[in-house]
Amino acid sequence: MAAACGGAVGRPLCQLLSCLSRTAVSYTWRRHFSATSLCRTTLQTQRVTESAGSPWTLMAAVCLQRLPVISADCHPVEQRFKQLTRQMEREKSLFSDHELRLLEDAERMNRKRAGSYDSDEEDDNRGQDIVLAQDLEDSWEQKLKKFQPAPRVKAVVDEDLTSVERCLADSLVLLAEQQVGSEKLWLLPQAEWQEGDTLRQTAERALASLPAAGFSATFLSNAPCGVYKYKLPKAARTDSLVGTKVFFFKAVLSSMSPSTASNAPLMWLKKSELQRFVKPAYTMKVERFILDP
Amino acid sequence: MNFVFRKLQASFTQQAFVFSQTLPVCRAAPSVQCPAWGAAFVNERQHHSMPTHEIGRWKHLMKKRVQKKKKDRFQMKPIVAATDSAYGTLNVQVSGYDMTLVEHYTQYIHNLCNQLGINVGLCYALPTKTMEVMLMQEKGTKMYVDAVLKTHERVVQLISLDTTLCPVLMDVVLKNQPEGVKLSVKEFTEADFKDRFKERPEMRELMSQINY
Repeated sequence: MAAACGGAVGRPLCQLLSCLSRTAVSYTWRRHFSATSLCRTTLQTQRVTESAGSPWTLMAAVCLQRLPVISADCHPVEQRFKQLTRQMEREKSLFSDHELRLLEDAERMNRKRAGSYDSDEEDDNRGQDIVLAQDLEDSWEQKLKKFQPAPRVKAVVDEDLTSVERCLADSLVLLAEQQVGSEKLWLLPQAEWQEGDTLRQTAERALASLPAAGFSATFLSNAPCGVYKYKLPKAARTDSLVGTKVFFFKAVLSSMSPSTASNAPLMWLKKSELQRFVKPAYTMKVERFILDP
Repeated sequence: MNFVFRKLQASFTQQAFVFSQTLPVCRAAPSVQCPAWGAAFVNERQHHSMPTHEIGRWKHLMKKRVQKKKKDRFQMKPIVAATDSAYGTLNVQVSGYDMTLVEHYTQYIHNLCNQLGINVGLCYALPTKTMEVMLMQEKGTKMYVDAVLKTHERVVQLISLDTTLCPVLMDVVLKNQPEGVKLSVKEFTEADFKDRFKERPEMRELMSQINY
């Protein structure tokens, strides 16, 4: 823990700059990240002289999230309320310019058909337009019919746990299968902390060292958002090694290169699906900082 | 009854006599009445003939306020520098085409910051930018106006945001971002402050003439 503190105290803070946006209908989940000059001042790590080494190995893990791409479907109560408020607003509203024009044109048509119509008696000269408001509306309707929005939910893609484009309405977390001790476990990608690194750099290294690297992520802060402490079983404990402490850092996915191998041991899971693959003690700590949705 | 009155009178006159004897003694003692320069004791009220005089007085209990000169120019508040555990002055800019969404999202961010105890400095709006989308006419060379898009922008300024609170705030704010709204978090600089003002071309010319 002393090492982590040393790293945190010695360096000046990075300036956090990120720009994010959403496209409502288009299927590209790529977010427009115009990250304006994520400049980082030179880090000066002051070595805090440790008299005794800490018995814990420190690791930093990254909680990479893909944020929802489309808005979630409304609850039936929400839908009814939405319809009601829309109707109330419509009834209370005044006519817009276009609607006024429609009414005037209709009125003029009626007067023309009346027979005793003298075009010189028209008050405004604007009435000599060739294009009526109704024609404009018809052309707009035609344009709308030509537009086909992409389907919101694709059942096939949803089932595939390794695809980034599943469940567009929810936020997904990246899980990687990593070798811990003697067994392979599904956990958030982690890497061991080394001297001279800050914890955040370690987390970035963890992300970059994944077999299917190609993620570009924006870390949300320099401070970790969660901790998981793991004590080794009594048989494996020594004087200098009691267990591991894992610090979690939150990051948001900005883009992914399409050259990712599909057989890489990676999964994108929703919060509710986490407990199927991850150990319960670990899930308990991790669920605390993953927000749903 | 008369004898009762007489007795009372007698007793009264006796009392008066006692009083008149002791009156000089009383006078020498510090008087109960306040000195001339005003009520030193707050609970003292003058005018025993008007018992409720100055009963509602409260201005004397408040601190003295210095009157602000109305000719003060709109100054920029000093930019807070970043420390090891907190960011300095941050600008959270929300922009989009739909004004209701942008405004409601800004209000949401502001209320969230208040609830989380984050110090919000300013909350202002930048001027609206209008963009006209011109389409080429089919079978013609003239361009006609297809749509008019207005970009609205609102800014919430956060002062000394704690590093530990930052990921929490950012996560919540990002997950609740509505469609069609852009979010950007930047450091606040002088240039951002100057953006809020209109250009004054004549002033610029005169200044350049002076400096020349």
